[in-house]
Amino acid sequence: MTVTSSPVLQLEQVTRTYRQGEVDVHALRGLDLSVGSGEFTAMVGPSGSGKTTALNLAGALDVPTSGRVLLEGTDLASLAAHQRSRIRRDRIGFIFQAYNLIPVMSAFENAASVLALQGVSEAEQRDRVMPLLAELGIEQLAHRRPDQLSGGQQQRVAIARAIAAKPAIVLADEPTANVDSTTAERLLDVMERLNQHHGVTFLFSTHDDRVVAHARRVVTLMDGRVHHDDVRA
Amino acid sequence: MGPRLATMAWRNLWRNKRRTLLTLASITFGTFLSVMFTAMQDRNFADMIDYAARLGGGHVTLQHPEYQDTPTLTRSIDHVDQLIALAQADPGVTKAVARVQGQAMVSTAAQSTGGFFLAFDPTAEDEDSLQLIQGLVAGRWFDGPDDKAVLLGRTLADNLEAELDDKVVYTVIDKHGEIAAGMGRLWGEVGTGAPSADGSFVMLPIDRVRESLGYGPTEATEVAIFLRDARKAPAVRDRLAGQLPASVVALTWDQVQPELSGFIAMKVGGARFMELVIMVLVAASIFNTLFVSVMERMREFGILIAIGYSPGQLFRLILWESAWLGLVGVALGALLTSPVYLYLVAHPIDVGAMTAGENMEVAGVGMPPLLRIGIFPENLALIGVFVVGATVLAGLYPAWRAGRVEPVEAINLV
Repeated sequence: MTVTSSPVLQLEQVTRTYRQGEVDVHALRGLDLSVGSGEFTAMVGPSGSGKTTALNLAGALDVPTSGRVLLEGTDLASLAAHQRSRIRRDRIGFIFQAYNLIPVMSAFENAASVLALQGVSEAEQRDRVMPLLAELGIEQLAHRRPDQLSGGQQQRVAIARAIAAKPAIVLADEPTANVDSTTAERLLDVMERLNQHHGVTFLFSTHDDRVVAHARRVVTLMDGRVHHDDVRA
Repeated sequence: MGPRLATMAWRNLWRNKRRTLLTLASITFGTFLSVMFTAMQDRNFADMIDYAARLGGGHVTLQHPEYQDTPTLTRSIDHVDQLIALAQADPGVTKAVARVQGQAMVSTAAQSTGGFFLAFDPTAEDEDSLQLIQGLVAGRWFDGPDDKAVLLGRTLADNLEAELDDKVVYTVIDKHGEIAAGMGRLWGEVGTGAPSADGSFVMLPIDRVRESLGYGPTEATEVAIFLRDARKAPAVRDRLAGQLPASVVALTWDQVQPELSGFIAMKVGGARFMELVIMVLVAASIFNTLFVSVMERMREFGILIAIGYSPGQLFRLILWESAWLGLVGVALGALLTSPVYLYLVAHPIDVGAMTAGENMEVAGVGMPPLLRIGIFPENLALIGVFVVGATVLAGLYPAWRAGRVEPVEAINLV
């Protein structure tokens, strides 16, 4: 943890119960977690421990059964659907396991898509996104569509998309799961550099030891609660 | 620069080229069918109305208030010269002429039969006001309004065993309810295109008939008014109605000939139904395309929601996709239809050749021997609006489904 001046994300006694057929599945059972600005945190744990559910709640994609999820002090469950859309657009960046770029957009358009949604002018989109693509080493691929990019290149575009609008936090769900180990290391180096040089806050959900090795804080979930919280020097 | 929804929608259409092309083909063909179908009806019915107007009382008729219900020669109107001047002052009117129409007994030395006569001033009429489908088939036309001459329908002439220049006597009930007769030489035979009319149609010079009926020189049973566009008849009637004396009423062609009007209304209704069926089929094809496309992309919509798209933006994205389909379909439909349409405008279909020369008629009006096509601009615009409207309508449900995506389920993160 590099900076802990103010919590960006707080999950307070959060429970989340799903109904699957006749059975209630308790994905989270009173999760307490606080992520500070500038953190590079990995959330680990076995399957079913609640990592992805926690990420969904943190990303305003879902609402808790009980408890509170606060992003920069705002209770996400209290917001209307259109307000949650705006929070996701303006304050949260997502990186998915399967990249999930929009296939009909070029790399540049994908990276700039959130800025476009925010109504940022085309010139400013270019001014902000092109240096980012350069920093990620894919500037020359800006005009290519996702199907013309390798997995690692696609994930770099996804990273650019996630951080282009300067979100409060980037939520990354298994971002290295679909790439080879060399590419995974490079991606982690890139994200670590963005964290250290630009203060981008990252929260990973992962099984990948390489992600854990890069993380400066590792939160282990078990049965929907924090089992262990390891802050490294 | 990040693409706008319309651009994204356009690109999305081409992710599955075959499916999009098949859908566009159905829209294009549906547009083609609708335009051609409507163009045939518009022109054909307009021609029928024009022929009926020329043989009858025009597109708008000025007549005695009781003539329509009891069409006897005692119900005449006077000062037709003033009425003609009044009508011709209207901007929609191309021509106005005085006519006398009624029943007559027609006799030659050999035979006698009932007939229907149309008396007119040959110097006042031209092709705009008096045009028969087959025209003069034997003999010659009148020279003036007081010729001592008769023209007979070709079948009537045969039935009366009349030869050119034979004497023909017509007996009528005059203005005072008395029997009166007139006589003329058979100058020619005409073909109206309607077999029933050809067996009873008599054409007479108007001044001779006025004399026989005891009419004054400005008296007639009607003033027949002809318009550039028959669809403007109600407006012209309404404009004239306020300026007419109480002894004269203005009626539109469909009020004077309700059988023909009913036939056309029925055919137009049938055509509209057929067009509706075509539109429903087109809309079903679009719905299928969009629905399948949306269901295939639910995960992608979940991602879009996650990165900040609102449900409303997804809804609009799909509506854009359907609108693009409709607009491109209409454009392709125009490309396909134009050459065929223009060819048929220049080369009307010879219906006579298909019916082995037999004339067909509807409500006493001959069907034009050439099936011309020509669509009214407002109907063309309506088809365009309908096609695009149907595509957008067909996209509503898929768009709604896209907007209702649950990102957690769609992304399958749970």
